[in-house]
Order: sequence, then C-alpha cells, then structure tokens
Amino acid sequence: MTHSHSLFGLVPMLSLPRAPVAEAVTTAIQEKDMTIRTARQPGLHHSPHHNPREGRATILAGFRSSEGWPVSRLIRGAVAGIALVVAGALAAPVQAESLLNVSYDPTRELYREFNEAFEKYWVAQGNEAPAIEVSHGGSGAQARAVVEGLEAQVLTLALAGDIDRVAETGKLPADWQTKLPHNSSPYTSTIVFLVREGNPKGLKDWGDLVQEGVEVITPNPKTSGGARWNYLAAWAWAEKNGKDPKEFVKELFEHVPVLDTGARGSTTTFVQREIGDVLLAWENEAYLALQEIGDDSFDIVVPSVSILAEPPVALVEGNIKSDEQRKLAEAYLNYLYSPEGQAIAFKNFYRAWDASAANPDDVARFPELDLVTIADFGGWAKAQPEHFGDGGTFDQIYVAK
Amino acid sequence: MGRPLVYKSPMPGLGLSMGITFTMLSIVVLLPIGALLLQGVNYGAEGVWATVNRERVWKALYLSFRLSFYAALFNLIFGVILAWVLARYRFPGHRILDAAVDLPFALPTAVAGIALTALYAPNGFFGASWTKTIAPALNAGLEYPEAALNALIMGLGFEPWTLQVPPRIAYSTLGIFIALVFVGLPFVARTVQPVIHEIEREVEEASATLGASRFHTLRRVIWPMLLPAALTGFALSLARAVGEYGSVIFIAGNKPLVTEIAPLLIVIQLEEFSYDGAAAIGIAMLVISFAMLLVINLIQVWSRRRIGYV
Repeated sequence: MTHSHSLFGLVPMLSLPRAPVAEAVTTAIQEKDMTIRTARQPGLHHSPHHNPREGRATILAGFRSSEGWPVSRLIRGAVAGIALVVAGALAAPVQAESLLNVSYDPTRELYREFNEAFEKYWVAQGNEAPAIEVSHGGSGAQARAVVEGLEAQVLTLALAGDIDRVAETGKLPADWQTKLPHNSSPYTSTIVFLVREGNPKGLKDWGDLVQEGVEVITPNPKTSGGARWNYLAAWAWAEKNGKDPKEFVKELFEHVPVLDTGARGSTTTFVQREIGDVLLAWENEAYLALQEIGDDSFDIVVPSVSILAEPPVALVEGNIKSDEQRKLAEAYLNYLYSPEGQAIAFKNFYRAWDASAANPDDVARFPELDLVTIADFGGWAKAQPEHFGDGGTFDQIYVAK
Repeated sequence: MGRPLVYKSPMPGLGLSMGITFTMLSIVVLLPIGALLLQGVNYGAEGVWATVNRERVWKALYLSFRLSFYAALFNLIFGVILAWVLARYRFPGHRILDAAVDLPFALPTAVAGIALTALYAPNGFFGASWTKTIAPALNAGLEYPEAALNALIMGLGFEPWTLQVPPRIAYSTLGIFIALVFVGLPFVARTVQPVIHEIEREVEEASATLGASRFHTLRRVIWPMLLPAALTGFALSLARAVGEYGSVIFIAGNKPLVTEIAPLLIVIQLEEFSYDGAAAIGIAMLVISFAMLLVINLIQVWSRRRIGYV
C-alpha cells in the first residue's frame, strides 16, 4: 500500500501542482472538480463534446481511484529536458571565435561599419562567423578597465599613452607601437573648429578664440583623450606664433564655460544645448555632427596649425586565449590597414593612409594644414605627465585669482 | 569571583541574528571602507594631506559640501511640507503624487542629470526664460543692495561680495543645487511621512481645547514630534548629495575652482591611474561626512532629551 501511495502521489501532482500529495489520493472526486478548473483545460464546462479524460490515465486500487497524466510522461519529459541541457553544454565549446575590441567614444559609427565588413571578409576566407564585440567609453577609463581585468583582445584607443598604461601591466610588449605600420595608427585625425552657421564671430584661427565674448567648448583634458589633443594643438599654435604657450592656453580655458568629461558630452553641449561659439573637436566628430544634424547649422573651420592625432591600435597578448583567437585578432587589425578597411575609415571622416579603394569624395574633403605631431612634444611618455599629470601645466593654469 | 564580561542575553536568537548582522555589515559596508582607509594608510598621512591640501581640492570640497547642505536644507523644509500634504489631505491625483516622490530613487542618475540639463540649459524649457528675463531682472534689482552691502563690508576691510545671480542655471552652482535637491528629495519626505501618520488627532485637539493657537500647536506639539525624523531625513539627503556624481556631472559645467565637485576630482585622479590620490580625496570626504553626521546625531540626541519624545 505504501508503494501504490507514492506512485499515486505522482499522478495528481502532475495534474494539480498545488494539491497536497497525501490528500490527493483519498479525495478523488474533489480532485476531479479541481482538474477541470486548471488552466491547461480551459472552458471544459462549456464543451460537452470534448473528452476531459483524453490523454489521461485512471488508476484504480481497490475502492480508491486516481486520475492524472501517466507517469511515463514525466520520465519522457525529464529525459528530453536533460538531453537538451547536455546538448547545450556540448554545443557551447564549438561556438564561433570571439573578440572584444575596447575602443574610445567617437569610434562607434566607424567600428559598427568596420565590424560588418570584417565579418563578411572573415567568413569569405572560409572561417566561421566571429562574435565581435566593441566597448566604447572615455579612452582613459577604457584603458583602466583593461588594466583592472577587462579581457580585451584588441585595443583601439585615443592615445598611445593609454595603451602604454596597459602595457605597464605586462599584457602587451612595451614596444607594441612598432608592431603595426604608421605608429600602429591605421587612421588619424586632427583637431578643427566647429562653429555656428556663417561663423558669426568670425573665428579663423586659434588666436581668435581668446577674443572678448567668445565661448569655447572643449572637454576636460584630465578626463578626455580628445581634449588632450585640443590642448596640445593650441599649445603648438602659440609656440609657432611667438606667444607664451602656457599664457595662451590659460587665456583660452578662461573662455571655456563648460568642461564636459568626454568628447561626446562636449558635442552635446555645443549642438543640443547651444552653449558656446566654437567647439574644439576631432575632425571626424565635427564631420559626423554635420552629417547627423545637417550642414546648415554649423560650419567647420580649419585652423592654420593643428595636431596630427594618432589613435593607435594594439593586440593585447595577455588576453589571447588560443591560436584561433590570435589569428582572428591579427586579421582584424590587419584588415584595418587593408584598402577596404582604409576606405571605411575615410568614409567615417578619418584621415587614413591608403586611398586606393576609397570614394574620392571622402578623401577630397580633408584640407591640407600644418600638422605637428606628438613627437614634437617628446612623445606621450613626456607630454602626459608634463601637461596633464598631477600638477602639470593644465593644473597650473587653474589657480584662483 | 569576577563577573563575566558579557552576560548572555535572555532574549532568544541573539547569537544568530548578531552573527548575520555583523557578517553582512562587514561585507557590505566595513570591507569597502576598510579598503579605502588601507589605501590611504599605504599612501601615508603626509601623502594624503599633500593631495588634499591644494586650493583646487579645498574649493571642490567646499562647493560639494556647501551645496549639499543647502540642498538638504531645502529638502528638509520642502520635504516636511510634502509629507504633511501627502499624509493629511486627500485630493485627486494623491496616489500619483505619492508615487512620484519615489521617482528620484528609481531613475538612473545620469538620466536625471541629462533631463535636468535639457530643461535648465539656456535653450531649455526653464533655462530660456531664466537667461532671457529672470536673471537680468534679478541682477538689475540686486545692483543697489549689492553696492550698499559692499560699501559696508569693504568699509570693514573685507573683499567685496557678489549678489548677482548667474546668467545660466545649468553649468552654474544653481544647476548643481537643483540636481542635488532632485536626488535628495525623497529622503526627508519618506522618513517624515510615517511619523505624521502616527500623530494622533487627539493630541492636536487637546492642544486646541487648552487654548493654543494653530501656530502654537504646530510649533510646540507637532514640530517636536517630527523633528527627529526630519533630522534623519536631512542627514540622509545630505549624505546622498555629497557623494552624488552621475546627475551632477551633466549639469555642473565642471569648471575647475568654480563648478568642479569633489567626486569629479576623484574621477580625475583615477583617470591618471593615481589610486592613492583618489583614495586621499575619498578619505577627506569620508572624514567631513562623518563629522557632519556626528553633529546631526548629537543634535538628535539633544532634541530627544529636551523634548523627551520618540
């Protein structure tokens, strides 16, 4: 009797999840009423032609009877469930190779397009479609995330200095920048002025930015990689024009009413909030703003001197898990240098190197200008602490009057 | 025979509940704060002081704590009124208003910051009228009082003050204040509301039959009962405002020495991979917050002794 009790116990449990097991056996009639009320068989009262006992079993034991789904269904269900789980677990290791590209803020559009092109290329080479993810954020914060253990296989940041930080942890060799052509910078950009339509304040060059009543929008060089290029470009102009560069940047930053933490934040402040007369921006970001908002609200002004901004890329040796992943990561970076990759960079308003596959219109939009490079400042290893470190020139220009 | 140092409590379940409490408290609160202090200890007291004892850091700390204090004060007054209205009156939309009080808790702070900036920027819904009409009118009206005040304080040998309001709400201290009021509002309202529910009508009626005016009843009967809860709400609102980063950063303007908040300085230190510097400013904020909370607690203790209620 105990055996049949436990067997019967399972039957009503299936049809009536909330019915207590022991009671269910002894109260068969009540149980039948409740079965009809369950959600699985709605509206049975209203359809007399439907057989409520279809697919169900009735078990009689002496004067007791119980009704429910046969137990074998439970077993079948469990077997199927376990099989699914096992199949899922077995399937996991054979999924496509994955890649995490940790990048900075304004490259969202570039890498969205580039990843699509690269995936097609990679599949055409006879590989499985890769799972490529890109993370965007402030360049410094992104570097810090990788230092603290974010498993990026590829870094595409705004400053070589930020990748140097990661290299200090030993995750990539100190001479990483020599591994790929052009200082590991497959595309470059520069700093230009974005002004309001018709340039009402007549801003032509860096010197005009410190006129009375001009408001300049730039992100904070302390928190934004792009803003460091802005700062150094202004510094370079002052040096070339016989001014005291520190005095000039001090004066320039007195004209800055809002220091956002990132380049995108500054663009929003200038474009959406309509603060300021001029936005110091990456050239690619400025063209993107024109494309997104329409070129009847803003103009791009190219100053006489600017800086060659080289956002470098690198493979993070320490985060490569397998030879397949290395192959994928290397192909990914090399594809940036291919004519197709370069064309995508041109299309996204970056100054790339190889224009052979690019749309000539994309190439022709960039005017020639006098570009200084970070080497003129002694490289990031020197410029970073000198200008943007704790107590550097940028800190020095902010002293109370 | 010495007495045992710890008496076993007659209440059942003390050991288990104390164990759970201390374990959770250690993991959730004490461990992170310990890690912060440890970083500071490794850096050394001199290093911490050298980082903190700079004009820019002092200005940022002063700005953060001053505006947080103002915002908490505003929330104290407005929050008590709000709680009173919600607890005592029934009106159409009462439940919606009651639910809306919690929104600042629920909204991601960055969303709140961006929304507030959009409203209060010079081209925003409120910001436009401020910049175009209100601020110039206020400043014109303030010219004479300012001149009179400055004649007085300069006569006493002090630097002149400015009473002029900033031409923009967003990207000025006003904007920071508004963001801090927003994030701190629910604290006072939500701590005071249940206390108002608890106040029995008979107490007020007794006060009235004894001949007290309405104002006298409010001041001598109601307010003493609300004060401890209101102070708790004030302290919570203040503590929240001091550490607020997400919403303020969008509306502050972040100009060094002018609208740069202390939490941003911590982020800047981190940006330079200076964990020591970040910990130093964090410790400074911790110490000041602790001192402020201590003072508020002392006021609470004093008010309880004096009033003898709650």
